[in-house]
Amino acid sequence: MKKILVADDEMSIRLLYSEELKEEGYEVYLAANGREALEVVEKIPLDLVILDIKMPEMDGIEALRQIKEKRPDLPVVLSTAYGEYRQDFATWASDEYLVKSSDLEDLKAMVKRHLKE
Amino acid sequence: MASERAGFLTQMVEVFTSTVSFGERLNNMVHLLARYLKVDLALYFGLDKAKETLVLNISSQGPIPPHMRLEFPLGIGLAGEAAATRKYRVVHRDQDGVQEANAALEKLNPAYHTLAAFPVADDNFLYGVLLLMDRADRAITPAERQNIQLACLMLSSTLRQAIVQEEAKKRIAELSVLFEVGKALSSTVELDELLERIVSTTAKVITARGAALHIIDGVSKEIQVSSRYGKIPAECPALPALPAGAGGAGEPPHFEGQSVDSEGRSHYCVAVPLTFKGQLEGTLGVYDKFSPSGEFAPFDPENRQLLYTMAGVVVNAIENALTYQQVEALAEKNERMVRNLTTLQEISQALLTTVQQDRLLDIILQGLILEQGLGFERAIVFMVDETTQTLKGAKGARRAAAGQSVSFRALLAPPSGPIPVADWELPLRADQGPLALAVLRKQPYHYRQTSQEPGLPASLLGKYAPGEFFVVPLVVKDQATGVIVVDNQDSGRPLESEPLHVLQMFATQAALVLENAHLYSTIEANNRELLLIRERMLESDRLAALSSLASGMAHEIRNPLVSIGGFARRIAKTVEANSPLRGYVEVIQEEVTRLEKLLREILDFTGENLSYYGDHEMAKLIDDTLILVQRDLDAAKIKVAKEFAQMPRLHCDDRQMKQVFYNLFQNAMQAMAQGGTLTIRTYPVEKPDGLYAAVAISDTGGGIPLEVLHNIFNPFFSTKDYGTGLGLAIAQRIISRHYGQIEVNNEMGKGVTFIVTLPVAKYCLVKDVGQEAVPASALKAPKGGRR
Repeated sequence: MKKILVADDEMSIRLLYSEELKEEGYEVYLAANGREALEVVEKIPLDLVILDIKMPEMDGIEALRQIKEKRPDLPVVLSTAYGEYRQDFATWASDEYLVKSSDLEDLKAMVKRHLKE
Repeated sequence: MASERAGFLTQMVEVFTSTVSFGERLNNMVHLLARYLKVDLALYFGLDKAKETLVLNISSQGPIPPHMRLEFPLGIGLAGEAAATRKYRVVHRDQDGVQEANAALEKLNPAYHTLAAFPVADDNFLYGVLLLMDRADRAITPAERQNIQLACLMLSSTLRQAIVQEEAKKRIAELSVLFEVGKALSSTVELDELLERIVSTTAKVITARGAALHIIDGVSKEIQVSSRYGKIPAECPALPALPAGAGGAGEPPHFEGQSVDSEGRSHYCVAVPLTFKGQLEGTLGVYDKFSPSGEFAPFDPENRQLLYTMAGVVVNAIENALTYQQVEALAEKNERMVRNLTTLQEISQALLTTVQQDRLLDIILQGLILEQGLGFERAIVFMVDETTQTLKGAKGARRAAAGQSVSFRALLAPPSGPIPVADWELPLRADQGPLALAVLRKQPYHYRQTSQEPGLPASLLGKYAPGEFFVVPLVVKDQATGVIVVDNQDSGRPLESEPLHVLQMFATQAALVLENAHLYSTIEANNRELLLIRERMLESDRLAALSSLASGMAHEIRNPLVSIGGFARRIAKTVEANSPLRGYVEVIQEEVTRLEKLLREILDFTGENLSYYGDHEMAKLIDDTLILVQRDLDAAKIKVAKEFAQMPRLHCDDRQMKQVFYNLFQNAMQAMAQGGTLTIRTYPVEKPDGLYAAVAISDTGGGIPLEVLHNIFNPFFSTKDYGTGLGLAIAQRIISRHYGQIEVNNEMGKGVTFIVTLPVAKYCLVKDVGQEAVPASALKAPKGGRR
């Protein structure tokens, strides 16, 4: 069973994403900020990380940088309410950039693609 | 005897004191003497003016017929002897040599025997000799001798009186002439008339047949004054301009001439120079003196003396006249200057009434062409066009019909005779004639068709070709901004020299007011532009504030919407197809989708892609980035060589530009792991669409292998590696977003040079915004973005 980490400071988003992904048959881990996400990355042999950008304590961009340093092979997807972070070269290190939408079909398709299923 | 003697003396005294003429008195005295002495003949010989010859004047036998004329040179004959020795003497015919010496006397009395001669003289002068002749051989008794000597004294005294009276008469005549001339001098008669009077009076006083006055200009040799009176014989030699060479030593210079005409008559002339202080030269001369005999006589020194006196009077009169003329000319000049200054002041006042160039040009032209202004017939103002380096006709006017209203108000009215000069143009080069030269040399020119200097260029001659004109530059702050050209072509009246002086003063002021007008209009234009910019800035500020508000709101709304929509979808899946809840959930989903679409549109409009653009120094961006990699450079023993040129600022996102440099430095360091030199050079590059700033970053890492070279700019997504490819891709993206270029110059075996060219920040954001506010990032190309 593939392991996916969802890091978002909004509890409702975490809940929505985990429900949907579990339904798809993935093992879902949750984090409320970048620091928690890093802890999970260190402990769990994850297959995919979905990162929000605007988060307290440590934002998604910094988390992305550190994750890529620790595990360059681990795909990281940025999922954010903001489109403009696409301009920030720091986000280019991510494997995909998604603007959040209530329609989660795009998200699920992306997950499938990165997990090479 | 005694009574006889007393009677003789009484008679002599009576004659001596009589009032009859001197000639009559002398005659009577000689007769009385002859009667008293009872001699055959008593004669009086007078000494001539030259004091060399004794001439028979009076005979006791009555008037002397012409054939009886008799002369003895001094010392010759008994008479000449007595005159020379001033002693009386009595001789007889039979004495030795008497007959021979006095042979001439025999035609008066051939049978004389006794001769007696007595000098007629006083203590100072010898006037003549009294000669007595008698047929008898007789002696002169001492009493007789005494009486004769007494008579001689009376004769000499009478002669003396005659001479004195003659001289007094002459003096009176001269004085009255001088008085007349003096009266004329102090009267207000014209110089010409005065000179005529002097000439005629001179002739009359000297009793000359003619007189002439000549005055010539010492430099040009042209006759200035000429006045003639009476008849001037053609036979007389022409009077020289300056008879300085004539006359003996010690005598004042004069000229004397004598000639004989075809009838054998002698003609005489004498002339004296007129000596002026200045450069004038001249002569005053008289011709042919009338003598009592009717023949023409030569002029004597007294005549010459009078001529000198008259010459002095002439010189005075002329010099006075010249002085008067000078004073008059000066007064007129002053008056003209006052008039000109008044004119200038009036024009100045008029020029202060406006700051509009067109109105100023009207007033300037009016000042130049109006009768009460500078009074030229045509005037044209040319202005320098800095961009095309040409002189262009700004405005021109010609004087309308004469006799216009002469008032200050006329200056303010536009000229009634405009000259169309809009298409008059000539390049500002020295070969383009006086107009261009006036600007280039900042000098006025007075052009005449006859002058040697080159005239107007052919391009202008078809439109404007006066024979004579003035051109004055309009100079402000040592810069010629145009020229004023004036002429009197319509009437052909020559341009005098004084108006040029006034014209220059006028031009100085005209230049100043035109410059002021120019500055004023520039300030006005700048002010308008500033107001516009301010408005646009306010507008863009408002827009930016609105954008950030909208963007913030949109983001805040998006997260909850995702949850609402996401869970609604989840609910929908669990709701039965025929359940009434199904419709409600679908409404929620649709509404959320609609809101999300609206959010995207809002965010697109407010420009969530707005980057953080600003004006930055390229050198500082490079130096800031170098600090970040300094530790790594030191560790790898890489030296840094910088060559920074002075360059304008870049309009860029500084964080992104630093990223570009950071990536390029990282690249270079990886290539030079064993040490080397990192060379950073900045320089400006001129491209067809504007100025660019270039940075060349070179390493000494041996170059990029050819099989990799074509791949180095491939996008990030193609590789998972954090190496070269990633950094360059990022750099390329950033640079293209700044409308710049990145090139690679690979030298195998040596190293790589990356050259980044970026457009410089020459524009201000507001100017480029145009009518609508557009974010800087939305500009399509540097060409469109820079103006």
